[in-house]
Amino acid sequence: MTACLYTRLDTVDDAVQCLASAGEDGHVIAGGVALGILMNERLVKPVHLLDISRIDALKRIEVTAEGVLSIGALATHQEVLTSAAVAATCPLLIEMSSEIACERIRNRGTIGGSICLGDPQGDPPVALLALDAVVRAAGPQGLRDIPIRTFFQDVYTTALQSDEILQEIRIPRIPDGGGMAYHKFSARRAMDYATTVSAAVQLACDPDDGRIINAGLGLGGVGVTPVWSKAIADGLLNATPCPEIFAWMRKMVHEELSPIGDHLYSADYKSHVAAVILRRATERAYNRAVAGSDRR
Amino acid sequence: MSVDISLRVNGAEHRLAVEPTETLVNVLRNRLGMTGTHKDCTMGICGACTILLNGQPVSSCLLLACQADGEAIRTIEGLERDGALSLLQEAFLRYGAVQCGFCTPGFLMIAVALLEKNPKPDRNEIIDALKGNLCRCTGYTKIVDAIEFVANN
Repeated sequence: MTACLYTRLDTVDDAVQCLASAGEDGHVIAGGVALGILMNERLVKPVHLLDISRIDALKRIEVTAEGVLSIGALATHQEVLTSAAVAATCPLLIEMSSEIACERIRNRGTIGGSICLGDPQGDPPVALLALDAVVRAAGPQGLRDIPIRTFFQDVYTTALQSDEILQEIRIPRIPDGGGMAYHKFSARRAMDYATTVSAAVQLACDPDDGRIINAGLGLGGVGVTPVWSKAIADGLLNATPCPEIFAWMRKMVHEELSPIGDHLYSADYKSHVAAVILRRATERAYNRAVAGSDRR
Repeated sequence: MSVDISLRVNGAEHRLAVEPTETLVNVLRNRLGMTGTHKDCTMGICGACTILLNGQPVSSCLLLACQADGEAIRTIEGLERDGALSLLQEAFLRYGAVQCGFCTPGFLMIAVALLEKNPKPDRNEIIDALKGNLCRCTGYTKIVDAIEFVANN
């Protein structure tokens, strides 16, 4: 057995420096939920573990003066779920976090870890795609902002470079009059993984005629990465929810997405489910936008 | 390399050297001889290895021991007092909430966490708190009954 090195980091600067010197051998560990599974399954055998889980500066959740919701990469799913700042500015993240596994996993798993893993069935990436979030990475050259919609590049592959650490997630201020919803389909009530398909929708409507004037959406479990579809989101503009628009969305889902069929569900069935839950999430988000009160 | 750590398990401090990749469940069971915490799926799915880390339920199969350095850990071994089972443990026996017993430590620890946060949960809150723990014998009803009994007494 090769011995593994372990370094506990206290600051982002130390972590970036340590990662640079560890090079390809460095494995950043935060809550350990995803990496723990990969290690237990012997799919990953770390040479040098860089433990960033105690960097307090990465645990903050706050709303900046410009109205940006900034969530530190190390905020746990449970902290997001119970955050007053999140509830006040972005209830979609509360609705999404409540769907993540169960409390004992939410207590360790972090929002940053989930994004860095880039799992196509993870919940946070789907919601953050709908919200048009920006991911801020720290590296040897300083900070770099990456739009989440360009972040998920391929199977478990993200735009984060091997010498970068995810520092925070920034969610632009949600304009008034918006509505948002997260919807997840799973066979089990909790802890389901293999069978989930999820959709997040954020909408804003014209207060006078109810037309959709802004739309963002994310989809999970329907491809090799979490998916953002510009074509479908743009197609909602100037529309109001009606059977015709949902029929069009269903057609687009079948055309645009490439779910991976598995031993439980075929690709075609997953497309069908995605269309159904995307419609439900859209309806719920729209109703909330029209009602003028986001779900708390 | 090994890492020197200190674990406060059920109030007692243990100093030991661990490998960075050793999980807490393995350290509890193999190093400290505390085999009450059960190890099953090692993927965070089943809940059998649930322990309390600073009062919060976590999966000890996914927590590296070195990440728990200096933290307060509670396991099923810490539930009894002076050799007597806790009210919750007694209730599990009384209601037949234990069959093969493999999942039981995890259910007890998740129930402890629930009752400490919410001493009077209703039945739906109990069911919701248990949703991440798997039991293949009881059908869950008797586990919920046992926790409900404690909540009402």
